[in-house]
Amino acid sequence: MARQAAFGRLIILPTLAILFIFRFLPMLQAIYLSFTRYDLVHAPRFIGVANFIDLMRDPLFLNAVRVSFTYVTCSVIPVLPLSLGLAILFNRSLVLKNMLRSAVFMPVVMPAVVMAVVWTFMYEQDGVINTILGWLNIDPVPWLRSSATALWAVILIGIWRATPYYMVIFLAGLQAIPGDYYAAARIDGANAWQVFRHITLPLIRPTTLLVIVMNVIVAIKVFAVPTIMTQGGPADSTRVLPLFIYQTAFEFFDMGHAAAMSVFLFAAVMAFSFIQVRIFTQREDSQ
Amino acid sequence: MKSISIGRRSAMAGGAMLSLLPPGLARAASPEAFPKEPVTIEIWWHEYGPMTAYVKELIEAYKKVRPNVTVHPVITSSGDINQKLTVGLATGTGPHIMDQDASFYELYFLKGVLEPLILPVFDAKSYDEIIAHYTPGGLDAATFQGKIYALPYQGNSMSLFLSNKAFAAAGLDPEKDAPKTWDDVKALGPKLKKVQNRRTVQKAFDFPYHSPRWEVQCFQPLVEQFGGRILSADGKRAYVSTPEAVKAMSLWRDVTKVTGDPRTTLNTPSNPNQDFIDGRTAMWITGPWATSQIRQSRIGDDFTVVSLPQVNPAKPHTILYGWMWGVNKAKPEAEKIVAWDFVRFMLAKPAEWLEKVAFFQPVKGLDATATAQHFPFFSVHMRDIETGTWYIRSEYTNEITQAIGRAIERVIYDGADPKASLDQAQAEVNRVLKA
Repeated sequence: MARQAAFGRLIILPTLAILFIFRFLPMLQAIYLSFTRYDLVHAPRFIGVANFIDLMRDPLFLNAVRVSFTYVTCSVIPVLPLSLGLAILFNRSLVLKNMLRSAVFMPVVMPAVVMAVVWTFMYEQDGVINTILGWLNIDPVPWLRSSATALWAVILIGIWRATPYYMVIFLAGLQAIPGDYYAAARIDGANAWQVFRHITLPLIRPTTLLVIVMNVIVAIKVFAVPTIMTQGGPADSTRVLPLFIYQTAFEFFDMGHAAAMSVFLFAAVMAFSFIQVRIFTQREDSQ
Repeated sequence: MKSISIGRRSAMAGGAMLSLLPPGLARAASPEAFPKEPVTIEIWWHEYGPMTAYVKELIEAYKKVRPNVTVHPVITSSGDINQKLTVGLATGTGPHIMDQDASFYELYFLKGVLEPLILPVFDAKSYDEIIAHYTPGGLDAATFQGKIYALPYQGNSMSLFLSNKAFAAAGLDPEKDAPKTWDDVKALGPKLKKVQNRRTVQKAFDFPYHSPRWEVQCFQPLVEQFGGRILSADGKRAYVSTPEAVKAMSLWRDVTKVTGDPRTTLNTPSNPNQDFIDGRTAMWITGPWATSQIRQSRIGDDFTVVSLPQVNPAKPHTILYGWMWGVNKAKPEAEKIVAWDFVRFMLAKPAEWLEKVAFFQPVKGLDATATAQHFPFFSVHMRDIETGTWYIRSEYTNEITQAIGRAIERVIYDGADPKASLDQAQAEVNRVLKA
């Protein structure tokens, strides 16, 4: 038994080593750099928490946090009902169900760069969206060329891309619910809403937690789409925090500030995940 | 297309040049200065098809002249070269010869990563001797504390390209009716701008909006045309919200209202001339390097180039920007000599650069060459180069550029007040400069 355990540890050692070298070590390095002034050329100089204090006074950083917060909130919340609704739909018997499922899943397999380029064309004055608006006698909307609309245009893509992915996860959750519960509910005369409210929703609670946490983490890290479509503009309206971190590090050569922002982002994700897990587990405990 | 007379300063400078280039650059290093053992050097440049082909040609030619030297090329997209170079220089894996936008060299100099030009390699006794071969100010962006740290293979200005077809369709003559002032541009707006079903199908003129750098390439000369400047000479103070800058921003907005529609642009950083090429813009500001791209498009030779419009044509102010070769200070001495020697070799034939890549080197005498005389509107471009001031250079060029870009976008896209928007940019820039 002891030999088996030792062998098991030996097998996972390479994976642990890779994780440590390529995941944890850079994270530790980033934490260290967040306490330094580092321009990528000269050696880092320790400056304590000055970077963090400076960030709290930096309007550009605060704007990036605000944009990221808006993006996360407005892209995560609609994804929940949409992906769950689609999962419920595809959990039923439908004509051409598998084909439809594949079609709905397409945005997930499409590379972010391709998607960003295609949507950019769709949002243009003569793109498909404004053409349809034209048929309805509505003036073209400058989707990506106005601070009022650009972020919403980017959020829409986030929703479009995330919904089918989380639909699959919800589908797995729905299929794990034993059919007996639904049969019993029907015998007791429960209507569709009551079945959904008192059977489906409680039983997919762990899946919902997973979807929310994963979706928030993915949304908070969004980078490719705003970078390609708007480069953070117009007038910073789509400059999400990851894009600002990238620019600060590799365009402004200020690795210390960039690392401090990354630590902030990491702490925010950790805090959110912790609170979310606590809320869900507390509810489960109380039930 | 009609050739335009050679610029006054170019003509004065040019004339009697026997070689196309700064003789110092054309001469090889004295044999005793050059290493005799095998040496390998690495050169990085940003991808641009014609340039890549030509530099590869030059590497092959150099092998014949210096058989003991191997030149290893690394080609990177223009969007990535900055990051790649920064990381390379930081980690000691940078190249011997770097290619970078001229506005970055001040930053690199301040970071101490540049090797100054090695005079014996150029058979020159002083830096002034090298400077004398260039157009006035041609090496300003590469000269620090009296020493030259980089040499330009491409010096550009921004001139006004006109679509002959759009002018003809509006009953205008692209030569007689070409705008000289911004008021002229505004006056042409209603004649050249076409709107159908509430959609702009042709803009008379539009400023660039696809990158903050392009925005500042247009904004900086506007500020200077009003008598202002964006940065102090030492790059430590910014004047982003001065009355001159506010006038420049107001002019930008007013011209745009009459002539353009920034919401409709399809220009991108990798295709910055797309609207003009597609016929969506009748007048467009771009550099001479765009000539080959435009000629290969459906426009062909059916275009005219005139000087950048001015507030006061008697006192022209344009922009100067470009790309330069620099040498990495961290390399061994012998390899730095070889690196500078290869830079000298590459730049020795400016007319070939013009012919094969359509890049202007800001050197005297280029206008006297046959290639220059056949290059469309060479003298217009050269005149704009000669009246140009180098793009803002500071340790914080990127931050300043982005702050101004945001200010422009607030005014143009969101209707913000020019003064308020520039005040905000000034505060952002001050914060960076005080850091």
